[in-house]
Amino acid sequence: MRSVTKRFGGVLALSDVSFDVPEGQVLGVIGPNGAGKTTLLNCISGVNRLDGGEVHFAGQRISGRRPYEVARLGIGRTFQIVKPFASMTVRENAAVGAVFGSAQARMATAAAFRYADEVLDLVGLAPKRSLPVGSLTVPDRKRLEVARALCTKPRLLLLDEVMSGLNAVEVDEALEMVRRVHSSGVTIMLIEHVMRVIVGVCAQAVVLHLGRVLVAGQPAEVLRDRRVVEAYLGERYASRHAVGGSG
Amino acid sequence: MAIETAEPATPALGSFAVATAAARRRERILYIVAAIVLAVLIVIPLSSLDAVQAAGLPLVMDRYWFRVTTLIAMFVIIAGAWNIIGGLTGYPAFGNVVFFGIGAYTAGTLITRASLPYATAVVGAVVVCAAVACVIGLPLLRLRGHYFAVASLGVAVATGEVINNVQFFGGASGIFMPIIRSDLLFYYLMLGGAVLTVGTTWLVLHSRFGFGLIAIREDEVAAGVIGVNTTRYKVAAYMLSAALTGLAGAIYAQWNVFIDQSTAFNLDVSIDSILMVLIGGIGTIFGPVIGAAALEFLIQTFAGSGELAVWTQIGLGVLLTAAVIFLPRGIVDFFGGRSSFTREYVRRTLRETGV
Repeated sequence: MRSVTKRFGGVLALSDVSFDVPEGQVLGVIGPNGAGKTTLLNCISGVNRLDGGEVHFAGQRISGRRPYEVARLGIGRTFQIVKPFASMTVRENAAVGAVFGSAQARMATAAAFRYADEVLDLVGLAPKRSLPVGSLTVPDRKRLEVARALCTKPRLLLLDEVMSGLNAVEVDEALEMVRRVHSSGVTIMLIEHVMRVIVGVCAQAVVLHLGRVLVAGQPAEVLRDRRVVEAYLGERYASRHAVGGSG
Repeated sequence: MAIETAEPATPALGSFAVATAAARRRERILYIVAAIVLAVLIVIPLSSLDAVQAAGLPLVMDRYWFRVTTLIAMFVIIAGAWNIIGGLTGYPAFGNVVFFGIGAYTAGTLITRASLPYATAVVGAVVVCAAVACVIGLPLLRLRGHYFAVASLGVAVATGEVINNVQFFGGASGIFMPIIRSDLLFYYLMLGGAVLTVGTTWLVLHSRFGFGLIAIREDEVAAGVIGVNTTRYKVAAYMLSAALTGLAGAIYAQWNVFIDQSTAFNLDVSIDSILMVLIGGIGTIFGPVIGAAALEFLIQTFAGSGELAVWTQIGLGVLLTAAVIFLPRGIVDFFGGRSSFTREYVRRTLRETGV
């Protein structure tokens, strides 16, 4: 990802954002509200068009391509505000992902339903597979987002705040799910507010602030960085508590 | 677990709830009933043949009933076609009558100006309608919801006005075609079109194409990021809808012998067909069939002239309002669907429709 820029009218949502997502890793993107995290995912997945810069994936330029093309190349994503297909059951939602999805997915319906069952097992939704999505709880809907994205057989999975709104126990369960997904061989880039998640599963972390990359590096170091604390909690808090770091 | 299931290998999507064993049994019964009704509809009109009459068998269908059943079959085609773009894809095309009109005028023009045989003219009409839908669909389908509805309506009105003012298409005096005198021919043509429409809907709902359309209806952005080429799918659904509507128009043109703007681009056709889908069951296979039969039967039975027609209109309006409030998923929901008509059902639907 090189010099990615996105404007909404006069607002510069992303400005000159550059970083890499190493294959096989879990990369965390954090930042305060309005930092441009979700816009970044929209720019990668083709939902938003870039105003500048380029995004490359597996040697191909994907910026400027439409969402379905990006999906075919093997990038799956979830939405922070979940977007289930409301008239379908849990199982059908997941299966649709496998019917379409990346070049490796695109299964016939019967195979898609079988694969959906495997994935629902992985994310822990198997017992609820026959329910309409309307009857799912918030954590289960977030799991379903992950399941549908996983059914597209992505090489890179973009997770947009799948842990927000969950309580401590549910976050633990979700963390366990992310680890399982990662160990099944999927590269993950996740956006998160919950610091515990970043430290818990990410090998690398990138901090966005006001549309720019503030710091990037090891999660534990990043979180101690003075600039990060300032961005989240304000300058006064940072100087009073004198949290070391490189700032 | 509240609901016990054992899903069939390739279930159709878009059932609003879970396919229980009982619901699947009811769905099977629906298919059997449909097959029986179709068989009866194929056999009964033969009683009007001279040979059958000569053998002393009773005349089951007189000319009035030929007209009513042919009209119902026509509306099964139009409503079923609307269901593909409006019900499955979620794009409320208010001006689908434009394809009825284009189909009718293409057939009429090919017959009178190019002296082509009727069958060729019908095929030509279908092809032209699909092509037009492709061209206007690309810009129109970028709009959503009400914007799309109003834009498609605008196209229908504008096209009708243009054709009304072009002498090549007969201008304001319309097109007269050579008469083909056969109630049976048009009855079977419309019936065949209706079967084709229902069969097409079944195929769509059981294919990857249908999965994509329903995903688009439920959430277009989500459909895009799981790999659905939303533009291509929407345009294809619109073309399919247009082709079937055009087929109905082309059959109608020759059946009616005469077409002009008010018969071929009649907005009532659009509105009636949408109501039929809503009453019967939107997004379902047999919903448009049941809706078309029920509504067109009522219209034909009660639409007299003068004061009676006014009261009929009012009565139909009340009926439709009641149907939309009490049966948001249509009549078919009680048969092939997942519900039975109980007090609990009424309570739930009232809550859903917000009354």
